[in-house]
Amino acid sequence: MAEKMMIEDHIRKNKRLTVVVCVMMALLFIAVVFAVGYIFVGNIYISLIFALPIALVYVLVTYSFSVHTVLSAAKARPANPQIREEKLLIYKVEDMAIAAGLPKPKVYVQDSEYINAFATGKKPENSVICVTTGALRKLNQEELEGVMAHEMSHIQNRDILIATVIIGVVGAISLIAEILFYSMFWGGAGRSRGGRNDGNVIMIVIAILFVILAPIFARLVYLMISRKREYLADSSGAYLTRNPNGLAQALEKIKGDHPTTKPKGSKTIAPLYISNPFKSNARTSIWSTHPPIDERIKRLRSM
Amino acid sequence: MLLIILAVVAVLIIVAFALIYWGFFNKIIRQENRIDNSWSQIDVQLRRRADLIPNLLNAVKGYMKHEKEVLENVTKARTSLMSAKSPQESIDADNMLTGALKTLFAVSEAYPDLKANTNFLNLQDELSNTENKIAYSRQHFNDSVLSFNNTIETFPGLWFARRMGKKTREMLQIPEASREVPEVKF
Repeated sequence: MAEKMMIEDHIRKNKRLTVVVCVMMALLFIAVVFAVGYIFVGNIYISLIFALPIALVYVLVTYSFSVHTVLSAAKARPANPQIREEKLLIYKVEDMAIAAGLPKPKVYVQDSEYINAFATGKKPENSVICVTTGALRKLNQEELEGVMAHEMSHIQNRDILIATVIIGVVGAISLIAEILFYSMFWGGAGRSRGGRNDGNVIMIVIAILFVILAPIFARLVYLMISRKREYLADSSGAYLTRNPNGLAQALEKIKGDHPTTKPKGSKTIAPLYISNPFKSNARTSIWSTHPPIDERIKRLRSM
Repeated sequence: MLLIILAVVAVLIIVAFALIYWGFFNKIIRQENRIDNSWSQIDVQLRRRADLIPNLLNAVKGYMKHEKEVLENVTKARTSLMSAKSPQESIDADNMLTGALKTLFAVSEAYPDLKANTNFLNLQDELSNTENKIAYSRQHFNDSVLSFNNTIETFPGLWFARRMGKKTREMLQIPEASREVPEVKF
């Protein structure tokens, strides 16, 4: 029982952090919009008129990236119940859906030497879990169960939805900054600032710098959220199986696994995977989508 | 003036109370429904398991000529599973069945022909699949009972639950013995 409560505490702490970071993101977006308004016309509210539709369109476009888009980017195929290891995989996914009290996700398989898996789908009702053939071959049933629990937790915590919306906002901030940059380059912004004094010029320079730096900052905030959600999925996954060891062992196998072939599929879906297939897991960096694998194993072992 | 302020405060308190009651009423009902739903999940798996047994017995009948007792134990456990009346009885019968099946599968190791039979292998996978699913749906059931009991035993849920006439639910117990691997002698 004591063990269980500890996992629940992990979950609660992680959820709180995610909320804080999401609020930071929203504030950043508003600040960018106001700064752009100040630079162009000296009125911070005017820019809302064009910035809000841009953000809305951006979020809608990323939102419309369907499960199908992701699956074809990963070159995944539906799991075949005629093959024994894929049948057992389907069983495992069903088990985790039962443990989480959620509808069963569809199960897909991706041909790859790497041990990896990802979940996608914005609602639990139409979610998909995809596993590499490398994972099926190299992981035992306990480890596979840990990985499936991790993916099921992403679905349960609505991480795919959160990531989609945040990627949309990051994109919108970048786009606004880019528009500003090009319009200044072509002298478009100069006209509207005709009659101002020197004090304002300094303010405008600061505002411009801020807008240029904002996309970088937004990206960092997004990556921070992404790493927080990974820790959360680890701990709620451990809660589903009541066995943190399975996932810890699987992560250790992923760490020691170095296939010679290059990872397949598109880089854009890298943040979805249980561990980033395009980066070495050893280094810690603020530019990582995932937390360092050793830290994840350490936390799971301490549960 | 003071009267108006007092009246507004009184109305606000009543509205707040009504909202809290509404929230707790729905929460309690929702959590209770979740318990019933997770029980029906277990029941579906138990039925599926009971349905698989005759197929399994048919598959092994031709091979296991000298293991009458093992097969009888499986049949017996199935019968008590089918006739169980309460959730706890079903779970106990299922544990008995799990034990009997473990012995059967352990004994089957001695029959290479049977081990090569794809039908038998499929049934073995299916049965261990239902076993895992029962374990997880039982866990989900107990989780649901825990959160329901927590809601109606802590303040202020306690207060609303009493007015709604709700009582705490029992968790499903797993006997210690069922966790042991049965001994097999050849």
